Amino acid sequence: MAKFIVTATAVKIGSTNVSDSVASATLELTSADVDVTDFSSNGWTEVIGGLKSGTLSLDIHADNGVGAITTILNPLLGTIATVTIAPNGTVGSSTNPIYTVPVLVNSFSPVAGAVGDLSTFSVSFPTSGSVSFATAGTV
Amino acid sequence: MASITDLRAGLATQLATITGLRTTTETPDTINPPIAIVNVANVNYDKSFARGLDEYNFVVTLIVGRVGERSAQKLLDSYVSTTGNPSVKLAIELDRTLGGKCDTLRVTDMRNYGSLVIGEVTYLAAEFNVIVYAK
Repeated sequence: MAKFIVTATAVKIGSTNVSDSVASATLELTSADVDVTDFSSNGWTEVIGGLKSGTLSLDIHADNGVGAITTILNPLLGTIATVTIAPNGTVGSSTNPIYTVPVLVNSFSPVAGAVGDLSTFSVSFPTSGSVSFATAGTV
Repeated sequence: MASITDLRAGLATQLATITGLRTTTETPDTINPPIAIVNVANVNYDKSFARGLDEYNFVVTLIVGRVGERSAQKLLDSYVSTTGNPSVKLAIELDRTLGGKCDTLRVTDMRNYGSLVIGEVTYLAAEFNVIVYAK
């Protein structure tokens, strides 16, 4: 295992690899903390893990071409989409786990940008259902 | 996937649509104005994952003639304008993909309008910055 520079994060929406249209990706997985502090906690709070949830955030280069990312997202608004993502390349391994993430496409900006800028937009989708990861296979 | 050479040549091709303007992708030994010289200034790699996008910044140096010539400034003004056949911005942005070599491009600004000394001759010149996004 080694440290790595982020250049090859692999992102697939449904069955389409959209990595070359994504400039930044963050998958944040969290667990609620449930307070179980009682009189035997010796003056400290105690918590246990509660419901798990997550957020997938992407910075995207807009592209309205046939089969391109904006075109892919358009019909997905309001639906659950499966995003497959790996931190460092498309081939899964113990050092490059592949996460399969069901997300609710609840918001995105197909038109965005100021004059002269490259057209980009950011999305932040909540996960819906269980997130799994594998150490084999491909994105 | 386009190379810098391809992109430079594509820009020169677009500039060649300007009537009477010579173009080159290599700095010539002798200047025969009016001439546009296309050079790359810098490249920002990895603007997206999986080698999906790089950002190229080109500089087009446009030299019109000796700085003392009365007609030189008028001619350079016409290249700097945003309308008409002599417009550098218009000519380059007429094909924003350079024949499919890049995703998109934009002539962002003009700078250094003034004298340029090459050898022992002082010319009138201006520089145009062009940002090109390509895989």
